[in-house]
Formats: sequence, C-alpha cells, structure tokens
Amino acid sequence: MEELTASLKRVFGFEKFRTGQAETLHDLEAGQDVLAVLPTGAGKTLIYQLYGYRHPGCVLIVSPLLSLMNDQVDRMRMAGFRRVAAINSLTGRDERQAILRHLKDYQFLFMSPEMLSQPTMLSQLRRVNLSLLVIDEAHCIVQWGPDFRPEYLLLGAIREKLGMPRTLMLTATAGKTTRQEIAHQLRCQPQVVATSVDRPNIFLDVEGVGDGNEKQARLAELVGKLPGPGIVYFSSKQLASDMALWLQSQTGKIVAAYHAGLDSDSRFKIQQQYMAGQLDLICATSAFGMGVDKNDVRYVIHYHLPADMESYAQEIGRAGRDGDPSLAVLLYAPGDEQLPLMLGQANRPTAVTVHEYYARPEAFDDADPGVHLLVFYRNHGISEEAVSRLFTRRERERNRALAQMLSYVREPQCLRQNWLKAFDEHGVHSDKCCAPKAVALDLATLGLRQTTMATGTRNETAWRDQLRQLF
Amino acid sequence: MEAADLIQVLTPQQARRLRVIENLLRGKKTVSTLYWGQRYQLLPLIGLDKTLDRGALDAAAQSLVTGGLATLDEENDQLRLTPAGVIAAQRDYYQPQMADQWIQLDLMAARQRILLAVQVVSEYTHATRRYYPLTTDLVTRQAVRAWFQRVKSAQLGKQILHVLMHALEQLPEEVATVTTSLLTGYQHPGLTREQVAQAHQRTAWEVTLMQLDGLMQICQDARVTETPFTSLLRSLWQSPVTRSAQLTLAAVRQTGDLDQVAAQRRIKLSTVREHLLEAAIFLPLSDFPYGRILTLELCQLFDKNLTGAIDDWQYTNLPNDLQQQYDFFYFRLYAIWIEKGGALVDGRTNSEP
Repeated sequence: MEELTASLKRVFGFEKFRTGQAETLHDLEAGQDVLAVLPTGAGKTLIYQLYGYRHPGCVLIVSPLLSLMNDQVDRMRMAGFRRVAAINSLTGRDERQAILRHLKDYQFLFMSPEMLSQPTMLSQLRRVNLSLLVIDEAHCIVQWGPDFRPEYLLLGAIREKLGMPRTLMLTATAGKTTRQEIAHQLRCQPQVVATSVDRPNIFLDVEGVGDGNEKQARLAELVGKLPGPGIVYFSSKQLASDMALWLQSQTGKIVAAYHAGLDSDSRFKIQQQYMAGQLDLICATSAFGMGVDKNDVRYVIHYHLPADMESYAQEIGRAGRDGDPSLAVLLYAPGDEQLPLMLGQANRPTAVTVHEYYARPEAFDDADPGVHLLVFYRNHGISEEAVSRLFTRRERERNRALAQMLSYVREPQCLRQNWLKAFDEHGVHSDKCCAPKAVALDLATLGLRQTTMATGTRNETAWRDQLRQLF
Repeated sequence: MEAADLIQVLTPQQARRLRVIENLLRGKKTVSTLYWGQRYQLLPLIGLDKTLDRGALDAAAQSLVTGGLATLDEENDQLRLTPAGVIAAQRDYYQPQMADQWIQLDLMAARQRILLAVQVVSEYTHATRRYYPLTTDLVTRQAVRAWFQRVKSAQLGKQILHVLMHALEQLPEEVATVTTSLLTGYQHPGLTREQVAQAHQRTAWEVTLMQLDGLMQICQDARVTETPFTSLLRSLWQSPVTRSAQLTLAAVRQTGDLDQVAAQRRIKLSTVREHLLEAAIFLPLSDFPYGRILTLELCQLFDKNLTGAIDDWQYTNLPNDLQQQYDFFYFRLYAIWIEKGGALVDGRTNSEP
C-alpha cells in the first residue's frame, strides 16, 4: 500500500498532515480502534476520508445533527467524493429507498443514531462490507445519551451487531471522564490520540454583571467595540432572535440569528452569509458551529452559562482558528446557574415518575419527552432500578459538570489554568492569557485585528444589477 | 403567518374557521377543508406551508382577539373581523396578483427547481466547481441535474438572465426586488425571508407571497413560450384535482351511477362521493356533470328548503324526510353548484346538458 503522505498528496494535494491526523491513521491501519480528541479545525474529516479512499468497503459515519449531516455530504461531494449519502429522519421515503437499493455502492454513508438503531436498517447494513465505523462528535454520547437521545446508548450494542468493525471516535473536547465513558459505551479499548485543548491565541475573560439589564448593556457595548466577525451564544432560541434584532439596532452592525427553529433555507443562507463575510455577528444557540468553516472569527461571547466545560470549550474553540488574537467572554450574573440546572432537569423524570411509570406504563402519554425516554428504556428491557440509578448518576454528573463550570466563573487567578485542569492539562499563566472576574478587560492590549468584511453587500443593489452579477 | 397576515384572510361578514386556514396551509386536502377553502376564496393557500405545526396559528388568532381586531366564537375556532379589525386590515399589504394561477402547478416543487437551477447555472457561468448546493429533496436534485445536462451550453447563463429579466419586468418593482434578493448564486448566498421582510418593512409571509408571484410569472412565461425552464417545469403543471378523483369523475361521466363506479373502481361509495366533491370544488360549472347527479327534483326540493346565505345552510335543519332521501353528499354538492352559479331557470337547471 502506498505511503499515507502519498495518498494525502494524491487525494487532497497537501504535502503534510496536521497534528494528530497521521497518528490516528497509523493506529487505525495497525488494527486499533481510535478515540481522536482533536480541536475544531484540526481536519478530523480528512482522517476518515483518506481511510475510506485507501480501504475497500464503506465508511459508516454516525453523526448527531441533521443539518450538519447534509453539510457533511455536500462537503464530501465538493471534495470530489461522489459515492456519498445520508439517511436520517429528513430523508424522504423515495430517497431512502433509492439509497438502500444501492447500499453496497456507497463509499461513505452518514446516519443518525436513531436511524441506525432501527432493526431493518441494521440488518441491511450487516450485508455491507464496513471498512470503518466513525462516531462523529462522540462527546454527544455522554452529553445527550441518557436523557436526550438515548439511542446513543445503543451504539455499543449496534457496533457488536455490525461485527465489531474498526471504529474511530471523533471529538474536539473530552476530558478523562468523558473519554472513559465513550469507550465504555462503545465497548472498546481505543487508542487515544489527543492534542492539547489549549488555544493560546484566545484570550479568556469572565465578566460579572449585576443583573439581566446590566448584562444586556454590557453585551451591546462589547459588540459595538469588538472587531468582527463574532458569535454570541444564548441558551434560548427566542432570545437569540430577539437579541439579533436588538443588537443590530443598537450597534449598526449586521447581525443574524441562527438556531434550530429556523427553516433549512434560512439556516443555509445565514451560514453562507457568515462564511462569505457578509455578517458581523451571529446570535446563536448551540445548534450553530459544528461544521462551520470559518477561520477568522474574532470573538465568542456567552450570554448564558454553558452546562459544562466541554460545551464551553467547543464553542469558544470556534474563535481564532487562523491563529490570530481572539477573545472568549463569559458574561455572568448571580443566579445564572439556575438556567442550565433547569434545562438539565427538563427531560429527566423524577424517581416517583419512574416508579409510577413502571407500575402502570399504559397510563402515561408517550408524547411527553420524559415519558418517551422511559418508554425507550422499558422497551429495551432496562429495569426500573437500573433506570433510577442511571438518572441519579446522570444528575450527579450534570451537577458536577456545572460546579466545574462555576469554578471557572469564580476562578480568581488564572482562567486558562482552570480551563485546562478540567481536561487534565496544565497551563502556565501569563499577563496575556486571561482576565478573571475581578480583573477588568482591556480591549486595547489584546491586539484584535479588524477582519476585512465584504461590507456593502447588504446594501440594496437594484435587482437588475443583482441578476447580472449572478450570471 | 403572523397576526398581521392572518387578519388579511379574515372578513367582517363571514366567520372563518381557523382550523380550515391552518389545514389549507398544511396541504390537508380533506373535502371539508377544500369546501370551506373555496367558500373563503382561499384555495390558493393550499400547501403553501406544509411544515406548519398544528395549532401554529392559535397565537396569532389570540393576539387579534386580544387586540380587539377579531372575535372568536365559543369553540375558539370561528374568527370574524371587528370594525377595528377592518380598519387595521386596510394597511398597505401585498395582495398576490397571480394567486388564481398558483394551483395550476405544483408551485412548491417549481420553487425548489427554479432556485436550485438558478444557483447551478450561476456557479457554472462563473466556472465555480466547488460550492454548497441548496438543500433540496432527491426528486428536485435529480430533475435539475438531468435538466442541466440537457440544456448546458456556453449561452445558458445569458439565456437564464434574459428569462428572469423578462419575467420580473412584468411585475411591480418591489416583487422583482424581493424575488431576486431571495435567489442564491455565485458569491451571493441570498437573503432569508426575514432579512428581506425587515428591509422592505413587510412580514415574512408577504415576502413569500411576492416570491410566489415572481416565480409564477417565470413559470407562466415558460409555459407560453419555449424558455430554458420549459422542460424543467413541464412535469409540474397539473390539475388541482387529484389523479384518483379525475378517474372517478371520468367514470361517473360515462355511467352516471355512483354505486356502479364504486364497484368498477373498487373503492367505497363514500370515496366516490369525496372524489366528486373535490372535483366539483376545483372545476368550473361547465366542467362537472352536475346534471347527472343532481336531479331536477332534488334541486327543486333543496331550492324550496334552503334559503338565506349558503354559509348558514345546515343539513340537519332540513326536514327529516329530505335527510332520509338525500345523503349529506347531495346537500354539499348542491351548495357547490349554487356557489358556482347553478340555478333553476324556468323549471330546469341551467347546467343540464
């Protein structure tokens, strides 16, 4: 077989691998399962693309986000891979049938965990020669599995039913606990390829505000002063939309909202506008980011407290991928931890509900998300005790994660060291690394450079000229 | 649809059922929805928002009621404009110009095809090989791909530009501007509906209505003269009457006996009746064989017993013997016949062959 670098050159035209890519490929080709913890922008996709190119059979990629999956398929096609398809709940019946008829012809197949856990789908896949199973965004197993998308917990069993194919787990952030949990759920002992989560060019800042009003005013002030493009993360779709309008009117910047509540046409256009440099700022929920290729994001602001350090690291990791100075701000008002606590509990049934459900399952409405979870577990033969234990453990885990997040907020000395500690890494504090809550942020010293924006594109061009520009 | 849009499809004279408007938008073609859709003159709304959730208009309705612009009946379903609502509805609101033509083709599919085709040709004209295609369903992708292979030429960009210019020139400037802003192509991601709405001080729904008029003009042009879009759109022109209902109608024309048609087509009598009502709702008076189903005697009896506004007619208010003699189907078909201009003239019906 030809050298990895020769394949890299042939398929992508690159001379050198980025950190972690070659190591992961070597381990996979040596017969190892691999958990690759590589930062956003490290080129995780290239790993399985190249593996698929070098090995006969099909690479099956389990991907969490429906919108992301279609992006991935488009991107693969753009990179010259033609035999690619995605099957998820958005795939029309005819299209799904057409894909299933030609299943053996695909080189890359994207699938949601929900689709993969259907017995008929699984039996079809068992007839396919799988060269590699990829679990993309593998941290979702831990973040979402138990009380949001329990199908993730079936992946281990599914993997067994598929004959234990070589498996690559990909994520940008996973501390020791998460890594262990991923391996445990997938029933494997992977080789871990990890690079540091540290992003020295991102300046970390935590700002304490008195209340919601103060927070909003400070946000407008920051957005007004900071050079774009930027991202502000919110925990609510409605607030993301409202604040996009408000910030636009307050700062004169071009702002758009992005969240799962938008139709697919709007999501497509906003993402493209942002990548084309036509927007200064995106007001987003966590739905925005995975799969967005933009290197020059200068700042990421969190308006609400994220539920754990891993989500936070994922989201701020979207800043400064070009290596230039960038900024991550977390705005905190007393009591902000109530929201993630509430959101974390939203789906999780109480011990009493679990007991009552197992006693009389027919008396419950499946449409309720909490009950839906219980139906799932009961249908998979999991006992009441086991479910109760699972939820108790889940609650403890969430509380621990939130406490860690709060320790970051309250960190008096060095935010970077605190952050890295969450990922079992050590950092060195410098005067250019962070501004904890008690330290004021001095924007002038950060050296944030104004990215050239394709400004003026939103100026109304007469429609005739616009049409001429298209053709 | 927000409250500002909902108010536009309400009137002070006729109480309109919110559920009917919702089901029209969602493309639920039950006979009841179609019948009332026709009574409200809102049939062009059919299927314009298939992803609309059930109950999605409730908040808009409630806000009209709270604002004193509309009233709701006791069952929270029938809406009617108040005098204040009539005044509020008189604001500058876009009134679709070509709505009566929308149902002549699968407009949603046409929209997908035109938007993707414009993007593909635009990128092709600029020799871009790598770009993100708009997300569409498989059928659209296949249709556009096959079309593009057929019509691809060095001149295609110019031809499409000409076609779009020609179509949009015939429309108000604002409609042309809105339709163009929503297009995606080379170095032009296009604006979202909300962005266009904001720029034009319109609602997102008005933007959709303008876009549909713009696209309809492109479709019409491609129908009357040969343009590069003609072959792309050919298969989408269709009668609003479903294929199945058309077959039933043809069989009824031949035999006139509904039971026989049911047996022959191996469908239930109730399905035959549903098909006929659907066809009657969509077709003009002269295109439906009323004379074969509504006998002169029936028309005379109904004429005598049904007075007042059609919307107020109640089947259950008919004398019992008449209800025994004639199923609800005849009552409904008679109402459609009257609505379409059917009448008794000199003891005969004006729709007899």
